[in-house]
Amino acid sequence: MINLFAKKIAARRCRRGKLPANTCRYVKGFAGPLDLDRCLGECRFVVFDTETTGFNVVDDAVISIGAIALNGFRINVQDSFEVLIRRDNVGAREAVTTHGLLCRDLSEGREEQEAVEDFLDYIGNSILVAQHADFDVAMINGMLRKKYGFELLNEVIDTASFAKRLEKGPYYNLAHKSGEYKLDVLLERYNIRLYDRHTAAGDAFLTARLFQILLRKAGQAGIKSLRDLLLK
Amino acid sequence: MPSNTIVERVVADLRKYPPFDELDPPVLQDLAESVSLSYHEEGEIIFTKGDALKGHAFMVMKGAVRLFDTIDGKEVLVDLCDEGDMFGVRAIFAHHDYVLSAQVAEESLLFELPVDKIKHLLETNPRVSLFFAGAFAKSVGEIEHTLSEAFDIDRRLFREQSYNSFLQNETLEVRPVTTVITCPPDITIREAAKIMSDCNIGSIIVVSTENHPLGIITDTDLTKKVVSKPGSIKEQPVNSIMSSPVFTISGGKTIADMVMLMVKTKLRHFCITEDGSPDSPVTGIISEHDIITSEGNNPAVIMKAVMQAADRDQLKEQRDKTENLLQIYIGQEVAVHFISNIVTEINDALITKAIDFSLKELEEEGYERPGIEFCWLSLGSEGRKEQLLRTDQDNAILYENPHEEQAEKVHEFFLALGRKVTGVLQHCGFVRCPADVMASNPVWCQPTSVWKGYFSKWIVTPEPKAVMHSTIFFDFRPVYGQAKLAAELKQEIFGLIAKNRGFLGFFAKNALQNPPPLGFFRNFLVEKSRDHANEFDIKARAMMPLSDAARVLSYELNISEYFSTVERFKRLGDIVPGMSDLAVEAAAGYEFLMRLRAVNGLADKTSGRYIKPETLNKIERQTLRNVFSTIEKVQKTLTLRFQLDYIRD
Repeated sequence: MINLFAKKIAARRCRRGKLPANTCRYVKGFAGPLDLDRCLGECRFVVFDTETTGFNVVDDAVISIGAIALNGFRINVQDSFEVLIRRDNVGAREAVTTHGLLCRDLSEGREEQEAVEDFLDYIGNSILVAQHADFDVAMINGMLRKKYGFELLNEVIDTASFAKRLEKGPYYNLAHKSGEYKLDVLLERYNIRLYDRHTAAGDAFLTARLFQILLRKAGQAGIKSLRDLLLK
Repeated sequence: MPSNTIVERVVADLRKYPPFDELDPPVLQDLAESVSLSYHEEGEIIFTKGDALKGHAFMVMKGAVRLFDTIDGKEVLVDLCDEGDMFGVRAIFAHHDYVLSAQVAEESLLFELPVDKIKHLLETNPRVSLFFAGAFAKSVGEIEHTLSEAFDIDRRLFREQSYNSFLQNETLEVRPVTTVITCPPDITIREAAKIMSDCNIGSIIVVSTENHPLGIITDTDLTKKVVSKPGSIKEQPVNSIMSSPVFTISGGKTIADMVMLMVKTKLRHFCITEDGSPDSPVTGIISEHDIITSEGNNPAVIMKAVMQAADRDQLKEQRDKTENLLQIYIGQEVAVHFISNIVTEINDALITKAIDFSLKELEEEGYERPGIEFCWLSLGSEGRKEQLLRTDQDNAILYENPHEEQAEKVHEFFLALGRKVTGVLQHCGFVRCPADVMASNPVWCQPTSVWKGYFSKWIVTPEPKAVMHSTIFFDFRPVYGQAKLAAELKQEIFGLIAKNRGFLGFFAKNALQNPPPLGFFRNFLVEKSRDHANEFDIKARAMMPLSDAARVLSYELNISEYFSTVERFKRLGDIVPGMSDLAVEAAAGYEFLMRLRAVNGLADKTSGRYIKPETLNKIERQTLRNVFSTIEKVQKTLTLRFQLDYIRD
């Protein structure tokens, strides 16, 4: 319901010309109600990952976003997205090197506003998917709030919770066994060869591979429609 | 714009497998951008025979997919695809429905490649069209690129260049001496000269403590700068006379490179260092002598040495050198018919020499040489001029019919000759034939009349088993002595066959004993009907079916030349209506098998007969699969021609 309220506010601000055209296009994508009876094979899922300067949702900044889409259970390389965000003041931060990005790369990145608007254009009203999605969504929301005063309107699936739900049922407590649902561990468990960890696009691609397998398992478990998937 | 990181990831996956392994980066990138990934669980059907074609072909990136046909309600396995294999490509060539069904055998990740992308690649990239022509000619009868054309393109694109320039020896690499003798700069000239004479070397490299080359002292330096000078300078340090700086080069130089360098620099010694500069450690040295003896890898030089050999040890030495030569040729991908011609010439010269030695020895031992002609016959693969690696000896002696009273003595003489010659050949590394088909066996050292009797028995009253054992004799070839005796025998055989056409049926049936396998799956040979094997007998399963077929047809058509299998197919293509394409395919396929066997034999130090599937790369598997389908076609042709469906064992 909060989501519905947020949609209305954003839509009103669009009508009053207070938001840029492309973000309004994004907002308009959510004008109608979500068709919960749609088959999963007919949905577009966007699997994404962010790279950040650190793990503090308030203080740290997103330095890159990578994403790839699934349509009809297929991962389409053509339908993928990658952007570096220009951060002039974080060059020396330690997190930068652990994420494999050099300062040089960052100064070559795009302006945050451009990057975020491109990302909104790319995702549209698709279902978003991410590993430990809360963090990535919060990071994107941070940028959106600051610039436009609204947050992501998409439905979101967290691959860790989704895997847990498929393996253990929906009421299993993830908290004390979180190690079993880290991306590396999940990838190994589902026989996905690891490579290129720690770039946003690389992780998004691996997560998409994982999500593709999970969707197939979900189908076998009777999860066929968006309603089943989103537990609505 | 798609994500670069992801596209690069897909590029890296595609690049692992042919035909994408050698695509230009921008082309490959464009292809990678169009890829979709789909995931399938075991048992899932990807498409069914009769389904309309999908807009993309499939490549297995992980897992396995089985392709099967459905005939009279029964599933017949056609192929098993594993990582890197493509299927569903028929869509690219023809506009029919799927002719096979594809089912996931192990949970699989598939790359889907859009048909129009692949079509575009086919049109613009010869290597890709070559690959697809080879890979899928089998399932697509009407496509214009046949295997034979593919082999032609293959040769034109990748072989001809090295083949032609090879003839001038240009592309052969000079092997440097890597056990380089060096000395520090501060030892005396006398000490250095002593090292040189102790090690029997013509030059010594003066090096720094880091093993970087500082200079070189050669025989010439010693003569000009030391011996010819008055006074005693022998106690001076070597660096006072060394030639410096040394001319340094990097490794991997060909004869052509080195000859050019010698001409340009007028130097005779070249020092190889790690990075080619004087500021890195010495790794080898090439002297004029090395360059010249590399030229000694020239078959003509070996040939001459064989002909001038004074004893059997020298013969052995030259035959061992021939094996090195073979290794070089195979490594340089020289055309197989060229290699086999050379090896046959050398083997023949060696046999000739062995016979000369033996005749002389017999004379010295007091044997009296009977005044009748004889002919030394090579049999089997040596008779077909196809021996690359040394295999078992198969040979025989054929001599003129002696007068009755002489018969025993003559036989005794030629048998003694046979024993001696096979002994020399054995000394040269040709193992004795386990079935004792050798001139040292009294049964196979006989006059013309007896030989005619043998063939008559085989031809007039053929038994399947006898036919199988006798095939080796039908490939006889005269190597020494009166070739006319062999020609006469061959005419006799043609006459016998003309009167006993039924024999050809048995002969042909023999060529069909071994239906070809389907292909390979991981480390197994995939068979239509028997259990999958993890070793591939290239001789029995691929080479013999082709050489047997060529032999039958050659005898049917009275081809009197002593041909190799490849030559036989080429001739058959010329004279048998409707067989020209298949004959070219079969000839090319046979050459491929010969090469593969030689490569395997050289790697394993064996006859190369048994190949482990895991040692085959994707292209080799693909080509073998095509050769298997060629064999199937050849066998079908024989079945039709001799109406073998009606003959029962």
